Amino acid sequence: MNLALALQLLIQGILLGGIYGLTAVGLSLIFGVMGVINFAHGQMMVIGMYISYWILVLVGLDPYLSLPLAAGAIFILGYVIQSTVVNRILDFPEAMQVLPLVAMGLILENLALLFWGPDHRSPSTALGLATFTLGTATVDVSRLIAFSLAIAFTVALFLFLKKSAIGKRIRAAADNRLGAQLVGIKVNRINNIAFGLGAATTGAAGALLLPLMPVSPHLGHDFTTTAFVVVILGGMGNLLGALVGGLILGVTESLATLLLPATLKQVVSFGLLVVIMLIRPQGLFGGRR
Amino acid sequence: MGQKKSEGKEVSRRAFLKTCGAAGLGAMAISFGVPTLLKAQPKPIKIGSIQPATGPLAVIGQGQRRGNQMAVDFINAKGGIKSLGGAKLELVLGDSETKSEVGRSEADRLIKEGAVVLVGAFESGTGMAVATLAEQRGLPFLVDVATLDDITQKGYKYTFRIFPTSTAFAQRGTDFIKEIMAAKKLSPKRAVVTYVGDAFGKTQGGFFIKHFKAANTGIEIVEEISYPLGIPDLSGEVAKIKAAKPDLLFPICRPGDSMILTRELYKQRVELLGIISPGSPGWYEPSVVRDLDKLALYVMDNVPWINPASPVYQEANKLFEQKYKAYLDTNTGWAYTGVLVIADALERAASIDPDKIVAAFKATNFKDHPMVGDAVQFAPNGDNKNATTAMVQVLPEADPLKRVKVVLPQKFAQAKLVFPAPQLWDRG
Repeated sequence: MNLALALQLLIQGILLGGIYGLTAVGLSLIFGVMGVINFAHGQMMVIGMYISYWILVLVGLDPYLSLPLAAGAIFILGYVIQSTVVNRILDFPEAMQVLPLVAMGLILENLALLFWGPDHRSPSTALGLATFTLGTATVDVSRLIAFSLAIAFTVALFLFLKKSAIGKRIRAAADNRLGAQLVGIKVNRINNIAFGLGAATTGAAGALLLPLMPVSPHLGHDFTTTAFVVVILGGMGNLLGALVGGLILGVTESLATLLLPATLKQVVSFGLLVVIMLIRPQGLFGGRR
Repeated sequence: MGQKKSEGKEVSRRAFLKTCGAAGLGAMAISFGVPTLLKAQPKPIKIGSIQPATGPLAVIGQGQRRGNQMAVDFINAKGGIKSLGGAKLELVLGDSETKSEVGRSEADRLIKEGAVVLVGAFESGTGMAVATLAEQRGLPFLVDVATLDDITQKGYKYTFRIFPTSTAFAQRGTDFIKEIMAAKKLSPKRAVVTYVGDAFGKTQGGFFIKHFKAANTGIEIVEEISYPLGIPDLSGEVAKIKAAKPDLLFPICRPGDSMILTRELYKQRVELLGIISPGSPGWYEPSVVRDLDKLALYVMDNVPWINPASPVYQEANKLFEQKYKAYLDTNTGWAYTGVLVIADALERAASIDPDKIVAAFKATNFKDHPMVGDAVQFAPNGDNKNATTAMVQVLPEADPLKRVKVVLPQKFAQAKLVFPAPQLWDRG
């Protein structure tokens, strides 16, 4: 086996895993607080990609600079979805919670199709083709930036939940909704913010992915699935678990190309999922739920 | 008296009924009479178009619909099907969502809505499913684009195809590659083939590899890499390509993965004499040429391209550019041709009876099409005997809409081919 190739694949797997982690962190947060699975997650990320695409093409602002705008816009989208739809379905049976969010995903996907058409859009960005070499391996700069920011965002979100007043309220609402209500926390508003934050991380992931892959309306579905696998891997509702789960999945998928054709990539990721489910059904870092 | 007067002025019940009766009779006369008048204008003939208008191939599927629709408009503007009293064509739309099972049910719906001929399906899996359905329902199906050989190998009586098969692609592609290497006096040793893992990619890739290996070119295929349709990342695959140290890359792509592949080849600095696709989308579409810009240059693709000298092409392309700001390419061009071939068969059949249309298809000799190759004529299995390909290359030109040029065969060439190509990162 070629050692240089293995090293290259390992580096790429780690970097890709960070991005998987970031898309999954939001999903995990939303699940942890509300107990609903955001099936529109990948589609929200695609909208984030399109927003930074639009800003890049119309204003000329690089995705890394327009990232706060993309994240902000998706925060608002998430806030609105939570306040109009999800708050009403929190007490419904799980099977019924799934449908409105799947529907939301379909709506977002087709809105993207309506606004931007079916084309794969992949504008050139300032750092889109930048690389440097590390020994025999090539490191992709935009991937490294995406990876570093993904870690930074996850840590920041973690600290926000631990330290800030709103963060504490979010955790309280997640822990015991009735109790939180009794001590005077406006739980619905806190839920809106939590969903908004979860959505914002996926919007940010969208901006980070724009230099890496062409955006098209149908990209979202696969990312929802990947994020879902990552969250289950790391433990539902555990943020750092999502990050670690992302890294594991990224590295496994990448190294699997050494032995298997890439057409079997999904077999690898879902196979991994099945194994984890058998050994640790609560996920690697799952505790309470 | 006073009472009588008022009766005369007001509408009495009897008068009201009389008026209603008269109006009713009039309405009946209208409802029976006018349709007999309208019969002079024959009912439109419905053509069912099944294309992947959403899903990972949406960008192509929507182009296919446009190609189909533009040809329908063209025929209607010329007075419809004259042998059927000037009947107009009507395109009824089905969306396969890039899934063969959806394509089949959509085709079934179009048949129920009164389609007399089906056209489609771009994606080979859907093409196969619709061909089977057409056979069951006894309705003619014209494959405008789809390469999978099997579609016309099942002995189906109702399926015809104007597009080349994967076998034809593999043969032409291999011949072109030999011709280029001989002309440039190059003898590369190693090549990598990549292909997308859907029905098309697997067949197109598999047939090409089989044929290329048998053809004794002196070039060894050192690695075969396949990946799923719609993959968001190809860094691992490109690392594998680099490790194989190839002189040539033969990719079979879809739009989207071609962009990821090319950028990744740049980032990982994979040195190549050139990229030559044995025949696949992903290299000549306006959006790819625009977004990849310099990186798309010098890629060659073996495709059944438009014939730049054909007046039919020039007329259709002008309209296509005006309407959609894109050029007719191999797919939209054949989608356009597909409906023209159907109209030609309907004209000669002078009937919408499926078996008469099939008989007319069998006798097709259709010269006035916009593509490279001779007249469309069907072999007994339903394949177009004269379907062929050209080698196109993306060449530098200020306007991205004019960059794709035919370079081989010489007979159709618009420009001289450039080979070997400058490395992706040496293009300023």
